[in-house]
Amino acid sequence: MSLEHDLKHALRRESPPTGFASRVLRRIEREGLPSHAGRGVRQGRRRWLRAAAASLTLTALLGGWAAHGIHERRQAEGERAREQVLLALRIAGEKVRYAQHEVRDISR
Amino acid sequence: MRKSVLALILMSALALPASAQRINLDFPGLADRAEEVVDVTLDATMLRLAAKFLSDGKDDREIKEMINGLQGIYVRSYTFDKEGEYDRGLADRVRGQLGANWKPLVTVRSRKRENVNIMADVQGDRINGLVIIAAEPREFTVVNIVGYIDVERLSRLEGEFGIPRFSSKDGKDE
Repeated sequence: MSLEHDLKHALRRESPPTGFASRVLRRIEREGLPSHAGRGVRQGRRRWLRAAAASLTLTALLGGWAAHGIHERRQAEGERAREQVLLALRIAGEKVRYAQHEVRDISR
Repeated sequence: MRKSVLALILMSALALPASAQRINLDFPGLADRAEEVVDVTLDATMLRLAAKFLSDGKDDREIKEMINGLQGIYVRSYTFDKEGEYDRGLADRVRGQLGANWKPLVTVRSRKRENVNIMADVQGDRINGLVIIAAEPREFTVVNIVGYIDVERLSRLEGEFGIPRFSSKDGKDE
């Protein structure tokens, strides 16, 4: 019974003291801590995300550029090797054919 | 452990003939005297790479098949602007490097034109290496092909597959 009474008394509706709202507003204006701290954290997070996104983009670009360079170099090496094979076989074929030609001439 | 040692011995035994077929093609100072130098050095890795860049068309396929069994192609060709710029004994020096299993396939001797020696590393009925030495008054060429090679196919390549046709000395195409 007394508990119920105590609770009712503690939770009773009560008007704030005069000037409470203006005091709260003044304090927020003066200190501004809760809102500034939140904004700062949010801005910090945004900055970090921007930096992360920029570095990811840069890494992707550099990686792509490097991969392209390797591919180009490999392509050039392959083309050069192909040309060299053709040149070597041309020279070898030329000499073999000349020898065969001479042997045929003698046989006639 | 024993398996690894056996594999190592086997690999060395297989690698030995390939290295034995390759000859020393260093001719110090010769390139400085030459007007034109052709230097082709293609080991097995480069040959495999080149094969990837050959198309699947008929012409390229023939070349691809030919280089598939090879471990290397080495060419040194020197062209001089006048006669007597190189020691004709160079050909003997190259021949001197070849072992007992190397047999002469063709030898052409000419006073005015090209002297050509074609030597093959014959193992059974297979040619596992080829050395071509061509000595002209103003040109010296050595070709060393390491690995299985079909000589007939090699001679047929000329004039086909984008490989220019051999021109005879009187200027007419064969």
